[in-house]
Amino acid sequence: MVRLITHNLLACHVKGCNTNNFPLQFKDVQIELREAEFNPDFLKGFMPKLEWKALVDAARQLGDTTLPLEQPEMLDDEFLKNLHHVLLEIHVEEGVMTCSNCKHEYPVSNGIPNMLLAEHEIG
Amino acid sequence: MAPQVQATSIDGEPQVYEEKNVHAIYDEIAPHFSSTRYKPWPIIAAFISSLPIGWIGLDSGTGNGKYLPLPFDRPGAICTIGLDRSRNLLNIAKNAGNTGKIRDVVLGDILGRGWRVAAFDYAISIATIHHLATHERRKTAVKRLIEAVSPNHGRVLIYVWAIEQDALSKRTIPVDGATGTRGQDVVVPWVLSRQDKGSQASTEPQVLNRYYHMFAKGELSGLVQDAASELGLQLGPPLGLGEAPISISRGVEMVQDGWERSNYYVELRCWELP
Ligand SMILES: [Zn+2]
Repeated sequence: MVRLITHNLLACHVKGCNTNNFPLQFKDVQIELREAEFNPDFLKGFMPKLEWKALVDAARQLGDTTLPLEQPEMLDDEFLKNLHHVLLEIHVEEGVMTCSNCKHEYPVSNGIPNMLLAEHEIG
Repeated sequence: MAPQVQATSIDGEPQVYEEKNVHAIYDEIAPHFSSTRYKPWPIIAAFISSLPIGWIGLDSGTGNGKYLPLPFDRPGAICTIGLDRSRNLLNIAKNAGNTGKIRDVVLGDILGRGWRVAAFDYAISIATIHHLATHERRKTAVKRLIEAVSPNHGRVLIYVWAIEQDALSKRTIPVDGATGTRGQDVVVPWVLSRQDKGSQASTEPQVLNRYYHMFAKGELSGLVQDAASELGLQLGPPLGLGEAPISISRGVEMVQDGWERSNYYVELRCWELP
């Protein structure tokens, strides 16, 4: 499944594609929203590891504009709830993730992103 | 009598061999396999329970995803992402735990690197690396796990099948080629009964032979040693600022190196000088 928590980790790994290979760009996506249990302590522990700009951009590609461009210093409840929704409740079920650098396309089908490469593409 | 474990040798390209003798078989036996693999092993459960809240991890070779819902006493405290080559197993792993919660899974190869460098806090690889057909590929798999986690605090747990089987195990292991720290290549039969295959009219149960490299004592820790050295990492406990030679700034410590229930396992902790 591709939630944005996973998308924030994935990078293109085609042979020789080492720069600008993150984040992958969503295209032609179908999304589903599923409620998840709110866990502010998890979010606070996880936040330092996020690539913030990539998350905000991806959320906007999926139509969610609730996150501020800069990570806020004060983590109030409203912000944490928005972060929770963006990271954990938006599911990309179908679509394509494209590398900005080499244009390789990683398909998402039935909620599963396919990061497999052909033998000649493996670095 | 059940079909026996048999010694084997790899022919042809390892990737092609693995495709036929590992990946294709898991895709075929996925539902039946999954129904026999539901109990988390204690050392793995303890490892996962010890992880701090907010950590994110990779389960490389997640299979039916049985470790994805852990820890049961703190659901949602950490997030484990499951990676596997079998789409049919991932379709099962997505719903691991049967709680109605959907798990994060990715179709990919354990030798790939489809993520940001050091994106994870922890990685586990349980009963997976033993399906790789050469020593070189098994070493690369260990390197990929170390590269996947934070150089500063990353933790890794690896489990593989051992030649030394538990007394309770009914398997007899042929050890013709195994000497010293070299393991043994074998095929392990999986009998698909007609029930598993639906209403097909075949009379004989189908036997599918899965490839395994059974590890010898010391072989797994040897792989870690080689992987660490190729990654330029000091193997051992964290060095203090003054004690380390100029050339050393990062390392990996093997905090556990043991055998449990027919498996060898190692736990690694990465460290980095400030
Ligand atoms: Zn690329």
